[in-house]
Amino acid sequence: MSDTAAAHEAPTSTGIDHKKLIMWLFLASDCMFFGTLISTHLLYRKLYPAGFTDAEGHQRFIQNLFNIELTSFSTFILLMSSFLMALAVSAMHKGQIKSFRRNVLGVIFFGLIFLGCQVFEFTHFYHQGLTIQNSVLGSTFYVLTGTHGTHVAIGVLWLILMYFYSFTGKLGGHMGALDVEVAGLYWHFVDIVWIIIFTAVYLVEYLGPNGIWGTGLPAVAK
Amino acid sequence: MSHDSHHAPVACKTELAPERSDLGLIRPDRTTGWLDWLTTVDHKKIGILYGAFAMFYFLVGGVEALAIRTQLARPDNDFVTARMYNQLFTMHGTTMIFLGVMPLSAAFFNFLVPLQIGARDVAFPRLNAFSLWTFVFGAFVLNASWFFEFAHLAGWFNSFEWHKALVYTDFAPANGWFSYAPLSGTFGQNGQALRFTGVGTDFWIIGIQVLGIASLAASFNFICTIINMRAKGMTMMRLPVFTWMTLVTAILIILAFPAITVALIELMFDRAFGANFFNPSAGGQPVLWQHLFWIFGHPEVYILVLPAMGIVSEVLPTFSGKSLFGYPIIVFSGAVIGFLGFAVWSHHMFTTGLGPVPTAAFSLLTMAIAVPTGVKIFNWLGTIWGGRVRFTPPMVLALGFIWMFMCGGFSGVMHSSAPADSQQQDSYFVIAHFHYVLLGGVLLGLMAGLYFWFPKIFGRMPNAPIAYIASGLVILGFNLAFGPMHYLGLAGQPRRTHTYHAGNGWETWNFVATIGAYILGIGVFLAFVNLVWTAFRGKKCSNDPWDGRTLEWSLPSPVPEYNFAQAPIVATRDAFFEDKHGTKRIGAENDGGEAGVHMPSQSWMPLLASAGFLFAGFGMPMMAMGIPHAGWIVVAGLGVLFIGIWLWALEGPGGYMLKTPAASGTPAPTETVAH
Repeated sequence: MSDTAAAHEAPTSTGIDHKKLIMWLFLASDCMFFGTLISTHLLYRKLYPAGFTDAEGHQRFIQNLFNIELTSFSTFILLMSSFLMALAVSAMHKGQIKSFRRNVLGVIFFGLIFLGCQVFEFTHFYHQGLTIQNSVLGSTFYVLTGTHGTHVAIGVLWLILMYFYSFTGKLGGHMGALDVEVAGLYWHFVDIVWIIIFTAVYLVEYLGPNGIWGTGLPAVAK
Repeated sequence: MSHDSHHAPVACKTELAPERSDLGLIRPDRTTGWLDWLTTVDHKKIGILYGAFAMFYFLVGGVEALAIRTQLARPDNDFVTARMYNQLFTMHGTTMIFLGVMPLSAAFFNFLVPLQIGARDVAFPRLNAFSLWTFVFGAFVLNASWFFEFAHLAGWFNSFEWHKALVYTDFAPANGWFSYAPLSGTFGQNGQALRFTGVGTDFWIIGIQVLGIASLAASFNFICTIINMRAKGMTMMRLPVFTWMTLVTAILIILAFPAITVALIELMFDRAFGANFFNPSAGGQPVLWQHLFWIFGHPEVYILVLPAMGIVSEVLPTFSGKSLFGYPIIVFSGAVIGFLGFAVWSHHMFTTGLGPVPTAAFSLLTMAIAVPTGVKIFNWLGTIWGGRVRFTPPMVLALGFIWMFMCGGFSGVMHSSAPADSQQQDSYFVIAHFHYVLLGGVLLGLMAGLYFWFPKIFGRMPNAPIAYIASGLVILGFNLAFGPMHYLGLAGQPRRTHTYHAGNGWETWNFVATIGAYILGIGVFLAFVNLVWTAFRGKKCSNDPWDGRTLEWSLPSPVPEYNFAQAPIVATRDAFFEDKHGTKRIGAENDGGEAGVHMPSQSWMPLLASAGFLFAGFGMPMMAMGIPHAGWIVVAGLGVLFIGIWLWALEGPGGYMLKTPAASGTPAPTETVAH
């Protein structure tokens, strides 16, 4: 899907394909990108454990806001999409284009379910009173998870284009398998980042009666 | 620069790659003219374009600097208003760092790295063109703010509704190059997003964001190239030091830029959508901006200086007639500087009150970073020691680099002591320190590189007497301008203040500094005029005028588009020098054969994709100005970006075969093509 002038002829110094190497480098950079966003969120959680104040002026706690069952479901779906992606890459390596198409359609479908859950979650939180503007928590939460959602959306778009491209008959052989594998690396990475976000943003809020950060208030206020 | 005369291009172009894509688009294949320069994927031409733009912006940044110095020449001066002064020093810093030094370093990366490792191009030629044009358009967006500013001053906007609604009207960035929040951010509750500054900050945010994308794309490409495309026998510890420093720099870029990318996104959300990341009235912590900025900003210092160190490590051995003293230690020191560069960012923030433990830790680490730097200085001295030194223009500049950079290093170690730093913070002492590092260090290093490799790039030798005069003026003017600032800073003159009253004892040395700045400006201008003249009209020179040591000197000047007629096989460090004077010869792979050399096809798509950033970059500040429907320009820009990347992917790898002199049995040509 991108350019390598002489890559398909000349062997590389390390034996690793250019495309695979550059994707790993991009992912290294993306680690720092998400690391910065997650740090911002956690720093502010520690600083302001009390959650946010909604439009009516009520103090709200993040545990009451989260629908952990729904988020667990979408996390599971994203994990399973990674499984299908691995199958798609494997099929492509064996030259089984039909199996590739089936699996990649599954990845796209699961990715869309994940995005749908996120849209639902954002809408729900918004109606519950958490906005990007009314608290630091809203800013960090929406920007962090929204950036991850953008990554998923780009991945879905990429895979949709690749799915249709496979019908031109040009997605095949070593280079085709490589293109799919590189897309797979990206997809798995986005998935792993979500597991970290799910843990750091959602799950830790449930440690102990008032979450890992406490409520910032003397009494249990749930 | 045509090299078509001595070989038949395009032997079996259609066989390898269809010129026509699925959509019937034809890829350009001109090798001359403006069309070639717009669509080129040749790393050498891209390097030349990077260099030309960088030199232009050096002059722009220089004019801004001279305006600053003119204002400060005497007390209570009113050459520019305080409002204009803020914009001048902000754009001076931003321009010099992001549009001057970084692209000039990138020019050297582009031109030299493939030649030094024995490759025919970079790993991703079109991505390389994309980096170039994204940089060009990012620079364009950033500097377009000046046109809005001048239009505002001329009163052209006065009749517009959106202009009447603006509270602050600084159209060029005015926050200083590190745009500290909350000045760059917002205040107010519940998404009011009241701003302290005008749309200049929005130009700055989007401009730096686009420039960051260019740097990231280029860095991925160069790491991939250096790791993956080395000639046979070119092991990592045989790489020329410049290539090593490029690798370290590129790694710093890919790990440091994400921090500023996120910080800019957060600041953009604050300003455009009323988020609260740095909004103090809603609980945001402005000091977070400082942390995020310097997590990027301190590695950035090494991103600026390591390429210059690499250049000096090539120039000194060549003109000392000796191999580099302690090559492995130099390489290791460079890597250590890169690594430690990530662990010292808070030394920019001692006065924010970090607490005793972090302050002590960052103090110690900052002192520690002086060790590998000092090791390098001693290695360079060891290289000159006992050598037959030739005082050519590049050598004079490289020696100037060592001396001036060392002075900057000394004042740097003074800053690492937190108690001393809290006295020097925001004074002219800091200005003196980092100009000794960035100007006395980086600029002299880059100029040494320009004078060193110009004969290779254009096959023409710069005028030596003018080069000596220019170098002398630069070094003299520089010390006159920035030496006194040490004193001024310790005597209490604050930085970023548009004027000062008489009677503080600052008048004399400010006047001297201004004289020095003008001498420096004349010197840099003279040096650049000499170079530009050389590129077109200079005296022709041989392929290896300096008795060079690395692979690029084994090639004809100017370098043919395929670089190496036959891929070299390297047996030692300093391969070309050994080939000439030692026993180990450079081998040749018989890879071209009858078919010739595989060349990448040119493409419009990198330019098209980058143009998307141009539209989006213009649209976002216009949105911030409140110009109606400006949001659609952003949408259109992102659409162009997507279409550009999509068509790029559909083009396929492309490429054609080019017969080289070696493949067609004629001896390698000595370049005699008339320009």
